[in-house]
Amino acid sequence: MDKVVACQTCGLVQGVDDVPEGCVAKCARCNFQIFHRRISSRSRTLAYSIAAAILYFPSNFYPLVTAFYQGQHTQTTIFQGIRSLWHDGQYFISGLVFCTSIFTPALKIIGLIFITLTLDWNGGKKARTWIYKIIRIIDPWNMLEVFLLAIGVGVIEMGQVATIHPGRGVFSFAAVVVLTLLATLSFDSRLLWDSPAERKHYQ
Amino acid sequence: MSEKSHALPKAKIARSYLTWFIWLIPVAAVGLCVFFVVRDVIFKGPTITIYFQSADGLEQENSPIKYRGANIGQIHGMKLTPDKQFVAVTAKLDYTAREFARQGTEFWMVQPEVKVGSIKGLRTIVSGNYITLEPGHGPPTNEFVALAEAPVEPVKAVEFTLLMDDLGSLQKQTAIFYRGVQVGEVLDFRLSDDSKHVLVHARIREEYAPLLRVNSKFWNAGGINFHFGLLSGAEISAESAQTVVSGGIAFATPPDYGDAATNGAVFQLNDKEDDEWKKWNPAIPLHGVPEAQKEKSSLPQVNSK
Ligand SMILES: [Zn+2]
Repeated sequence: MDKVVACQTCGLVQGVDDVPEGCVAKCARCNFQIFHRRISSRSRTLAYSIAAAILYFPSNFYPLVTAFYQGQHTQTTIFQGIRSLWHDGQYFISGLVFCTSIFTPALKIIGLIFITLTLDWNGGKKARTWIYKIIRIIDPWNMLEVFLLAIGVGVIEMGQVATIHPGRGVFSFAAVVVLTLLATLSFDSRLLWDSPAERKHYQ
Repeated sequence: MSEKSHALPKAKIARSYLTWFIWLIPVAAVGLCVFFVVRDVIFKGPTITIYFQSADGLEQENSPIKYRGANIGQIHGMKLTPDKQFVAVTAKLDYTAREFARQGTEFWMVQPEVKVGSIKGLRTIVSGNYITLEPGHGPPTNEFVALAEAPVEPVKAVEFTLLMDDLGSLQKQTAIFYRGVQVGEVLDFRLSDDSKHVLVHARIREEYAPLLRVNSKFWNAGGINFHFGLLSGAEISAESAQTVVSGGIAFATPPDYGDAATNGAVFQLNDKEDDEWKKWNPAIPLHGVPEAQKEKSSLPQVNSK
């Protein structure tokens, strides 16, 4: 079936033939990809979410920062940081850090993997749409931790008294944040409501 | 097919590999995890136990082990041994320092030390105590008994004994001077078996060994000497600025010098310098120390004091 589509990049109206599986249509003028819906939304979301799930473990298990303070050498994992904040009586910040760095990433990853794997189910479409909605709501809060860290490192690196080096955990953590973000962005919520034939075409 | 679409340009159809490339991301994540685990499991330094008489000043999960100033490990825990005689300090060495876990390696604690004779480890006042080591070359082991204090650097030297009545301000590592130049140091001291003397075990470094003759005279050059004379008034003398603080031993060799002293020689340590000894000025050829060796062996020793 022949369709007439306008290129999203340069606006050229052109005819697009049926696109076979594993292929994409490219604009006759600007050579950018022409798509009606996000391309391979399902597998991209799944791939990003699985990668995030894998890196979730090192990001929590390994020290986020290695600090040399007055000759002492301390390594802090996210969880140790939360615990010491709690013991210092900083219940609000401790709770905030726990939510943004341990709880919500886990929620997002599990939620995304769940809805991408259960797309073919018939029932509970509304519930699954709600899961996606919640994921979109908590999304921006995930970035908070990275900002906190950036500020903290910037402040402490100033003096010679203490030096802070990023630990293994921080790279994994940043990767988890980026990957969950990409996963949410590449998920097309229309997939939830597509008919099986449409879904086969668009996923 | 309408006529309209015939006039329109046709979009190109190309194969897309993105769907396959996207799965490289989880694969890379797995790879990263494997890399971390491999680093931890294979490139894992040994865990060692060091027994200290007292671990006062060391902090659990904090105090480092340093070698030549570089961190090579960290203390993990410490607990009292069942017989309550030692503190077992467990520490993890870095992978690069794994070769230090050998028999013969000596560990000791570096702590601020301000006593007459030496001011050492001042940095540790701020940074906290740490453990350092002198590598050994025996078979691998994971258990060590810490030294009570820093060992005296082993150098080729002539070792001898000084007899004295009272130790005075002398200590381990008190310097021995010849014409104001440090040529050796005190290694150790103890009471003689009949408890009438103090036996001071000392050494003269190999390159200065020819200065020490069987008829050399030793005297205590420590502190400040006050001489009161009717005509000269008060006279204050000291061997050197260092001896004022740290005490010291000096010696002189007469012009008609005898045989070179060998290991185990015994000398009397006099309380004061004899005026006659000051005039002794023999020409004694020193060992020809090769220039390269001098730089390697003698200069760092001076610096490390
Ligand atoms: Zn275009």
